[in-house]
Amino acid sequence: MKTINTDLVVLGAGPGGFAAAIQASSLGKNVVLVDQNPRLGGVCLNWGCIPSKSYLHAANLIEEVKSCQHRGIIFSDPKIDIDKMRAWKESILDKLSTGMVNQAKQKNVKRLIGRGYFEDSNTLRVETNDGQILVKYQNAIIAVGSIPFLPSTFDLGNSRIMTSDKALELEDIPNTLLVVGGGYIGMELGAVYAALGSKVVMVEYNDRILHGSDRDMVRFVQKRAENTFQEIRVKTKVSKMETQRNKIKVTFQDHADQETQETYDRVLISVGRKPNCHNLGLENTAVTLDGNGFIEANHVKQTKDPSIYAIGDIIGGAMLAHKASRDARIAVDTICDQHVTIDPVAIPAVVFTDPELAWCGMTEMEAKEKGIKVDIATFPWSASGRAMSFDRPDGMTKLIIEPGTGRIIGVGVAGSGAGELISEGALAIEMGATASDIADVVHPHPTLSESIMECAERYVRNLEK
Amino acid sequence: MDVRLPQLSEGANSGTVLTIFVQEGDSIEKDQTILELENDKAVAPIPSPVEGKIQKIHVFVGDEISTGAKIATIVEEGRPEAESKPGADEQASKQKKTDDKEQASQLKTEKEVTRTERAGYQSESGFPPPASPSVRRLAKQIGLDLSLVPGSKRGGRIIVSDIQSYIANLQSAASKPAGKHETAETAEQIQYNFEQWGPTRREPYSSIRKTVGLRMQKAWTTIPHVYQFDEADITALMETREHYKAVYTKNNTKLTLTAIAVKAVIEALKQYPIFNASLDLNTDEIVYKDHYHIGIAVDSEAGLFLPVIRDADKKTLLDIAKEITHLAEKARDRKLTSEEMKGGAFAISNLGGIGGSHFTPIINEPNAAILGMGRSLIRPVLQEGEWREHTFLPICVSYDHRLIDGADGARFAQALVKSFEQFETKYFQTGQKK
Repeated sequence: MKTINTDLVVLGAGPGGFAAAIQASSLGKNVVLVDQNPRLGGVCLNWGCIPSKSYLHAANLIEEVKSCQHRGIIFSDPKIDIDKMRAWKESILDKLSTGMVNQAKQKNVKRLIGRGYFEDSNTLRVETNDGQILVKYQNAIIAVGSIPFLPSTFDLGNSRIMTSDKALELEDIPNTLLVVGGGYIGMELGAVYAALGSKVVMVEYNDRILHGSDRDMVRFVQKRAENTFQEIRVKTKVSKMETQRNKIKVTFQDHADQETQETYDRVLISVGRKPNCHNLGLENTAVTLDGNGFIEANHVKQTKDPSIYAIGDIIGGAMLAHKASRDARIAVDTICDQHVTIDPVAIPAVVFTDPELAWCGMTEMEAKEKGIKVDIATFPWSASGRAMSFDRPDGMTKLIIEPGTGRIIGVGVAGSGAGELISEGALAIEMGATASDIADVVHPHPTLSESIMECAERYVRNLEK
Repeated sequence: MDVRLPQLSEGANSGTVLTIFVQEGDSIEKDQTILELENDKAVAPIPSPVEGKIQKIHVFVGDEISTGAKIATIVEEGRPEAESKPGADEQASKQKKTDDKEQASQLKTEKEVTRTERAGYQSESGFPPPASPSVRRLAKQIGLDLSLVPGSKRGGRIIVSDIQSYIANLQSAASKPAGKHETAETAEQIQYNFEQWGPTRREPYSSIRKTVGLRMQKAWTTIPHVYQFDEADITALMETREHYKAVYTKNNTKLTLTAIAVKAVIEALKQYPIFNASLDLNTDEIVYKDHYHIGIAVDSEAGLFLPVIRDADKKTLLDIAKEITHLAEKARDRKLTSEEMKGGAFAISNLGGIGGSHFTPIINEPNAAILGMGRSLIRPVLQEGEWREHTFLPICVSYDHRLIDGADGARFAQALVKSFEQFETKYFQTGQKK
């Protein structure tokens, strides 16, 4: 068996693992990057962020075209060539992945395509197409990410019951689609299928969709989804699913335990994601898992096995690409003895629904739950000239402010392009800025970014009264 | 019990924690020093009011604290040794010692863990101290806990210069108690065996004396002093003073020669502003002051104090006399605040009340000069063919030769003599009936 000796092996080439490999290599380490997928980028690039955003762009375009009549622009109904759309998405992924491959080459990161299995604390066996390779390493970073969670009762081996991976393959446009789970993945993919012409019903066990976000911000998304979706059914659970010829027969149970049955062409299960640590050989190392199957890692991302680190979705917390990249920096810092990466105060989150939801730092809901006294300043987009100019007054900007100091500790934005606006909020929080600081910064007119300044100004003015 | 910072005997009500002598978990005796506090004037030991065990220390080296601030929590305890039965006590005390040691080391770890939590910055929202990522990175690199650093920007945001001044403060605080080389009694001082010559008594060289000593040593060694002696014929002045004495007594104040000197000095300072100036070596500039704040040396049991009469040029002689009486009383009662001792631009030291003739006072840095007054004496003077009794006041002006040359020194002394000799009667007037 071929053996490679290296300083660092990174298992998983997603936004966490790839960033770790590049950074460690820049700092002079010999790095081997292992991933079973020939296309780099992990879930983010292949089955997550990028393909879903491509489709969402197409979906928004379809919706936009539909709602142009009052502007005096009349389009005929769009024709959808689903094969071409899929190929277009693939071309985007190929371009991005090629860029990553070139970057890895430039940085002399050695790539192995195959499944990795830990033989012991310093050996990873990789099953490649050209046979098995033993990688002897000083340090390993596990960045194998997460996979969609499919409850076993729904796993009928029927491809019409999809998870997000499958849904993004866009095999066909079903007449009817049931989305189980009103989280961000269900909302985003539901919107894509709805725009392409499916009748979408969403079912959510909680009393509202996107229940982790502030209610006043979610209402904009809810309102629009109520129009694009056939129905949003809250406080309802799916108790049973059966194959019925070409369809899926679904049994619902509402909060009064009333049962109903309906049939759908396809079902998308989006009830969460789970760690991907099955069959990694972790039992041959000292790495430990927590009760939910996530790898346990300390603040520098080191596992109970001193030579092995773990980053990204596999250690839990916010399952976000940019959080994985930050984890990567911290782990590589520690391995390379740099200790310069600071702990972020705010990790922004974006839900790419229409309109978008974005927040960072503390949310109003979190403050309430923790009993922390905060001041809130809001600005409705119905007062924004820029929002009016493209018919999207359905949004708001919100600042969560520490009383007394006026420090910005949270920012929330609901509205078109919120994902692009939130970075100013993250900057403000990380810089320790106060509401006065933001109010004093000139924001260009007419832009949506003014809404952040407006919030701050409203707050400062109120204080002066 | 919670030990709070008492009203400081040195007259100040706030100061910076210089050294903490005890740790959490330590046993402490009554009157044992908990910490040393430094203010402008002195370093003061803060003693424990009770005997017990220190449960918590609420301050850190470098903290600015004011009267009433919580310093430490001390658990008063009985004496377990007294309760233990005789016979087993040796074993027991041995065991206890080990326990104490273990407990102490445990407490130390605990203290380290809770350091951040107890430190200066605390956000109710649980957020770390406000600072930009680059500042946080710097703090991380040098291992600095940002919650200890006071932020100077809006909302208490910490910037790089805040870290710099925090470190500078730490350094100076750390070097001061160890700075025995700078003190009057140097480390290399020869060991004298005074006891061999007969019985002796030893008293602590107090913190205040040490501070005054250091200041004097610094001024005396860094400022090139020149001493200009002179005498002022104050016969006329004394007669007028006698005339107005009753009015001042009625106002519950004494018309002292020191109060008169304040007015006389201002006359001379106005003619020679360099004597009211300071040398700023940081910028290589001479700072002329367009105000007349005059420091008055006051002797007290606790030591030498220099309270300041602010804007003395705008005050009447009566006001000045009253203020000096008031400040002197405060100094003797140790109630002067550090604020009342700041900002003096010229100082007067009058030892005439005690006796002696000329003496050479040391300039109070960063002043340019100081006036020393001795006891006035009566001498016969031949005037218009007659021998008359005249009163002469011996004065000495010490000045900084870096700023002032001899000729100007002599001119200033002359101007001062003249302003004593031709002291204007109008200054005495109080607008009140005699």
